Amino acid sequence: MSALGEIDRGIESLLMQPPYGVDPQQRHTALLALLKKELAYACDRNSAFRNYVEHWPLDFRVADRVADLPYLPVGVFKANPPLALIGTEEVRHTLTSSATTGQMPSRVVLDAATARRMSKGVITIIRDFIGPARRPYLVIDTAENLTAQAELGARGAAIQGLASFATEIVCCLRASQDGDSSLDLEKLLACAAKWKHADVLVYGFTHVIWTQLVQPLQRQGITLDIPNIHVLHSGGWKRLEQQAVTRDVFIRGVASVLSCSADRVVDYYGMVENVGVVYPDCDHANKHVPAFAEIIVRSPLTLAPVEAGQRGLIQVCSVLPTSFPGFLLLTEDMAEVVDYDECPCGRRGTSFRFAGRAPKAEVRGCGNLEITRYQQAKRSRAA
Amino acid sequence: MSDLIQAVDSPQEIACAARRLREIAQQQAITPQMVLEVFDRWAAALDDRELRDVPGMTFFRLWLRRGNLEPVLLRELGPSSLNGGWQEDGRAKLRAFPLGIVGHWPAGNIEIQPVLSLTCALLGGNGCLVRVPSRLVWITRRVMEKLQEVDQAGLLIDRIFMASFDHSRTDLHEAMAQSVDGAMIWGGAEAVSQVRGLPFPHWARVVVFGPRLSAAAMDAETWRDRTERASWCRRIARDVWQFDQQACSSPQVLFLERGAGGDPDEFVEDLRLAFQEENRHHPRRQIEPALTSAICLARASWLLAEAGNHALFPTSPDWTILLGTNAEMPNPTQGRTLSVLVVDDLMKVISTFDGSLQTLGLGVRDAQKEERLAKAAGRSGVDRIVKLGRMHVFSSPWDGTELIRPMVRLVRHVVSQD
Repeated sequence: MSALGEIDRGIESLLMQPPYGVDPQQRHTALLALLKKELAYACDRNSAFRNYVEHWPLDFRVADRVADLPYLPVGVFKANPPLALIGTEEVRHTLTSSATTGQMPSRVVLDAATARRMSKGVITIIRDFIGPARRPYLVIDTAENLTAQAELGARGAAIQGLASFATEIVCCLRASQDGDSSLDLEKLLACAAKWKHADVLVYGFTHVIWTQLVQPLQRQGITLDIPNIHVLHSGGWKRLEQQAVTRDVFIRGVASVLSCSADRVVDYYGMVENVGVVYPDCDHANKHVPAFAEIIVRSPLTLAPVEAGQRGLIQVCSVLPTSFPGFLLLTEDMAEVVDYDECPCGRRGTSFRFAGRAPKAEVRGCGNLEITRYQQAKRSRAA
Repeated sequence: MSDLIQAVDSPQEIACAARRLREIAQQQAITPQMVLEVFDRWAAALDDRELRDVPGMTFFRLWLRRGNLEPVLLRELGPSSLNGGWQEDGRAKLRAFPLGIVGHWPAGNIEIQPVLSLTCALLGGNGCLVRVPSRLVWITRRVMEKLQEVDQAGLLIDRIFMASFDHSRTDLHEAMAQSVDGAMIWGGAEAVSQVRGLPFPHWARVVVFGPRLSAAAMDAETWRDRTERASWCRRIARDVWQFDQQACSSPQVLFLERGAGGDPDEFVEDLRLAFQEENRHHPRRQIEPALTSAICLARASWLLAEAGNHALFPTSPDWTILLGTNAEMPNPTQGRTLSVLVVDDLMKVISTFDGSLQTLGLGVRDAQKEERLAKAAGRSGVDRIVKLGRMHVFSSPWDGTELIRPMVRLVRHVVSQD
């Protein structure tokens, strides 16, 4: 069997396991073995990646912890062309992150196998939180984000990732001519009336749900009656924090306009580079890692894994991608490890709480030119 | 003992402090000689166990000594300057007078910078209004307490008002700017641009130090020499470590001139040992997570960019050596990340520098060659050319600018009687 075939079989085996039921030690052993194979495969496929791995201070072939394997900082996926393990002819989709103004988005390439595993991964995780049934799917976004495209943004990827749970899909925002969007109230009210007694899945970016659904409904004093709803949201809290909207305010706001209980509103953490893995909050507000993935929270000072109760930079680990070297990625986000097993919700393995984007260093001193003279001069020389 | 650093919350507090500083300055003029006497006592008082480990403190104590500052004063202000006298200038006389009040905006990453900056203005007889960055409040207070101990008469301490306030309080920055006759601004691009844009009086003299970058360079004869190599590597490590490589005088890159018989891998192996040793003596106590991310990204980007690129680094973010052959200044990462670039001709590399480069640390065997390189560096915009290991030794001129003279007025008196 080829190396890729063996890897594929290993991934499928982990995807078949109950996502949160495996003993952490057993899971670690399986992940370590598979990740080593994936690293070796990636080194064969990409000489630049091999150069990086060969310079890693520890030899991954003899590592006995996932935490000792060479990881890439997520920023390397901002390069163009994207870092890949496949030829351009094999690329089915390119996923792009939602970069903030002036920043380059991350781009990762998916082949058919990785795209398939991405769907499977998300379904396996979400099923554990909302159940396996298909149901009406209300998207708090415009229909444009549902269209299948070769290059797919983070919003589109998140929306489409949940489409497998849908019996029908309705987008309740309409795009306006100025590129903005607004709530299609008529359509929303019709859905609410039709789905009053049904199980319903709702998804939207956190700030979009707040500004395009909750606030307009609150302003007009409208309450929808869809109690059997699950509202999943992602995309971060930065914009809402600027408006002083806390997690509690958000959950209460959403629950009140939809007439559902607060535990039906589920925040999840995820990023395009960590394809097929999302981290929803459990009833105890902790995030969990499925059997085919791992989270390592590293101390910024030493880059060693932190003890439970401590904060650090999040490293995501996933066995799912084989089209790009995204198995082990150090993010720029912070988290606190709650426990390494036994969350009261019953899910096993690492539980953690997201603690926001690592704050930009306030002062970097008189040696910090940023994008001023030096880089301008460099650019003009290059031109 | 009153609090030497006031937590300020209103523009009125700053205006009031500035009025008081002006009154004191008018009541009693001070000469550089008087300032030097207090500085000498201050230097002695700073030899304290609690302060010994403060980055830059050893240097600051040396800076304060009369033997160091007298030559600076004589060069910048002339032979009669020490006692505040007039000096002949043809048929006229010249004498330095203070500007009045000098505002100081030090960078938040250099522990000794608030006090270092104010010494320059005090030597000119000025009153000082200092904004102390929040990270430096504790250490600056300790250092100022030592000045207070040795300056019971309040000769200098009464001429200083130190304020602490959030960097985003534009109203307080503006109040400071409106109250001063001169300003010394230090720091990164963003901070400097913001402070420069404040409403200073039209007569105020504003001197900016930074933001700049620095580089190091060695000729083949020097880095190939196995007997001296370890010593040079220790010097480079020292320059990289101080101020966590965030100072304008911190080397971000080391250019090694290619030469027959020299193996750059052997050199960086010695450099690795020096970095490890320096890290053992001066480990980091904390780090911004964003800097950790930047260090990891620099390592990965370098190795992914070119299969021929090499790097040495531990599993921690403690230090990084990136080895390659590019002849261009790399984007600075800071955080003890040094690019070591092997080049064919140092002269060619130095000729591409521009005014962004502040200091060039050199290790060159041949004196004539060094002179040629220094001339090329000066022509290309570099302001300081020093021996490796001495890149942070604060001296006048700094950034191509004198330190005391910009904060005084040279008054010309042509006597009325022939």
